[in-house]
Amino acid sequence: MNHDIDIKKLQVNCFRQSKVPGEFMLQMRAPGGVVQAKYLAVVQHIADTWGNGQLHLGMRQTFSIPGIKYENIEAVNEYLRGYIEEVEVASCDVNMDVNEGGYPTIGARNVMACIGNSHCIKANIDTLSLARKMEKLVFPSHYHIKMSIAGCPNDCAKATFNDFGIVGIAKMEYDYDRCIACERCVETCASHATRVLSLENGKIVKDVCCCVGCAECATVCPTGAWTRRPTKFYRVLIGGRSGKQYPRAGKIFLNWVTEEVLLAVIGNWQAFSAEVLNHQPRYLHGGHLIDMAGYEKFKEWILKGVKLNPEAEVAERLYWTETEYRSNIHVKPVCGVD
Amino acid sequence: MAYRLSLSRMDELLEKMRESYTIYAPMRFEKRGRYSDTDLVRYDKIRSVRDIVYDEKSHFSPKEVIHPITQALFHFTEFEYRESEVDERPVLVFVRPCDIHGIQRLDTMFLENGDAADPYYKRLRDKVKFVLMECGKGWDTCFCVSMGTNRTEDYSLAVRFAGEELLLEVKDPSFRPLFASEKTADFRPEFVSANRLTVRLPEIKSRDVLEKVHALPLWESYDTRCLSCGACTAACVSCSCFTTSDVAYSENGRSGDRRRVWASCLHKDFTVMAGGHGFRKTPGERMRFRTLHKVYDFRARFGGADMCVGCGRCTDRCPQLISFAATLNRLSGEVDRLNAEAAAATGVSV
Repeated sequence: MNHDIDIKKLQVNCFRQSKVPGEFMLQMRAPGGVVQAKYLAVVQHIADTWGNGQLHLGMRQTFSIPGIKYENIEAVNEYLRGYIEEVEVASCDVNMDVNEGGYPTIGARNVMACIGNSHCIKANIDTLSLARKMEKLVFPSHYHIKMSIAGCPNDCAKATFNDFGIVGIAKMEYDYDRCIACERCVETCASHATRVLSLENGKIVKDVCCCVGCAECATVCPTGAWTRRPTKFYRVLIGGRSGKQYPRAGKIFLNWVTEEVLLAVIGNWQAFSAEVLNHQPRYLHGGHLIDMAGYEKFKEWILKGVKLNPEAEVAERLYWTETEYRSNIHVKPVCGVD
Repeated sequence: MAYRLSLSRMDELLEKMRESYTIYAPMRFEKRGRYSDTDLVRYDKIRSVRDIVYDEKSHFSPKEVIHPITQALFHFTEFEYRESEVDERPVLVFVRPCDIHGIQRLDTMFLENGDAADPYYKRLRDKVKFVLMECGKGWDTCFCVSMGTNRTEDYSLAVRFAGEELLLEVKDPSFRPLFASEKTADFRPEFVSANRLTVRLPEIKSRDVLEKVHALPLWESYDTRCLSCGACTAACVSCSCFTTSDVAYSENGRSGDRRRVWASCLHKDFTVMAGGHGFRKTPGERMRFRTLHKVYDFRARFGGADMCVGCGRCTDRCPQLISFAATLNRLSGEVDRLNAEAAAATGVSV
């Protein structure tokens, strides 16, 4: 078939090119990975009417609907209007003009999150409400950024492999008199976390340097001697990525920052990106953008106007450890095996 | 006599009561619960009746007031020691009917178990007066009616919260002058007469059946379910176990405290002795001990009531969702079977 299609334009519209010429896969955003279950009917309608009947649970928690023919994209976009109004504007208070044209940009990717403390016994934060606040800050912007929110340092959300990875952490308080020295916290910290707790003189002592803020101690404490400080704290990892060249885990940029600080930092991402890219948005991993600017410059721009809370820690410098795929000399062909 | 008081008027009177009493009640500690964004409801000193959480069951019991989690007995230096002291002021505690029964069980354990009354318990217990809080309908884990602990007359004051007002029965004559000019009301506390849960208690009728109860496979089911964390015994109003130790100060090892701290029969080191020998090595064995202690051993030793008062806090607090009521009902079913088998063997009908 003779096609003449502006692939780039469709990509920005959240339709991804298929290997079958003229077919596309729609990626529907679901900030925080949660929508009302009733929208499955919307997804199903699109998949059955215009797609090939399949739904891919997208790698970034999008609803991905493959097999949509080019000629149907206009109809799909028109149908999407209600979903975008509900999910982006009503739920996230995103400042955008919703029309029959579908998604205005693919720039900032879907903000991912684990289920968070609305359900999970490990989580320290409400990941969904944070994801929605972050969506408002980065969408709709053409500047590319990938963010994921983990409710706790278990990091089921793989915050470690995002441009910005947010991890919910807790400052712990210990009530000496309530402690019965059962050592549940000591055992749990040793097996789940950073073994910062030990028993001394019949009570618990803590090596505060290395607490990751997971709050496992509070979760297992039988007497409520360990409790979380009600203020929520966050760890911010930056520069994590997968990819064909040199994937790497993100590194800690900020530790023990409050939500106010976190949102101010995220709010600076567009200005930083615009500065580095000379106001020309293009597809580039956030980590590469930080590399281009250099960490010092990144830090200066991203913390511009941000008033750090007293507990906050900021990375002096970053020591990346990348996997250089060109240097896999330790991987050898298996010889002598039939 | 009974009175109808607005909460703000009650606060004025509470302020006067606080001149002579230390007043404890269940209070909400926001976002201090086991899981994120959950609250903790436990006892502490109140300043206002609005501090009192009356429409929820507290996670921890009022026993903390009389049997503190950590209590120094005496302080020692190299050549001398000094006994610890407690605040001399009398104490008022807001409690439920089951809690009053629970504290009676603690009285039995600390004051009537053996020849000597425990002076550290007694010095606090003697100062305590109860303010009974009505339970309304009770809660879904309560089984006070099954345990016979739903009613009590052992209180000084009784209260029903009703929005911006409360009804207060003043039973203890020493409080009457304080309320002399208040508006009277016709009020007596109502007690829960039926719980959603009904618990059947095991009737272990012979030594032979008791031994068979020990060997029941049902205990093994707790080997994988129970974490041995002791959250149940920490929440329990009638669990009394503690461990005593000398703690030498790290700055000067020749001085320190002798203190006692709550212990739990669920903890794996509870029965460990010199040489590493222990009586109850598995979570199931420890669960068996706790269960029988609560509904058999205590009564076998002291007569009268069972140690468990059916407050259900152990069920509320178990992170593994083990229901003590369900455990008791399972056990009772097994005991029925064992009793029937024993009767069949001897030819006596039950």
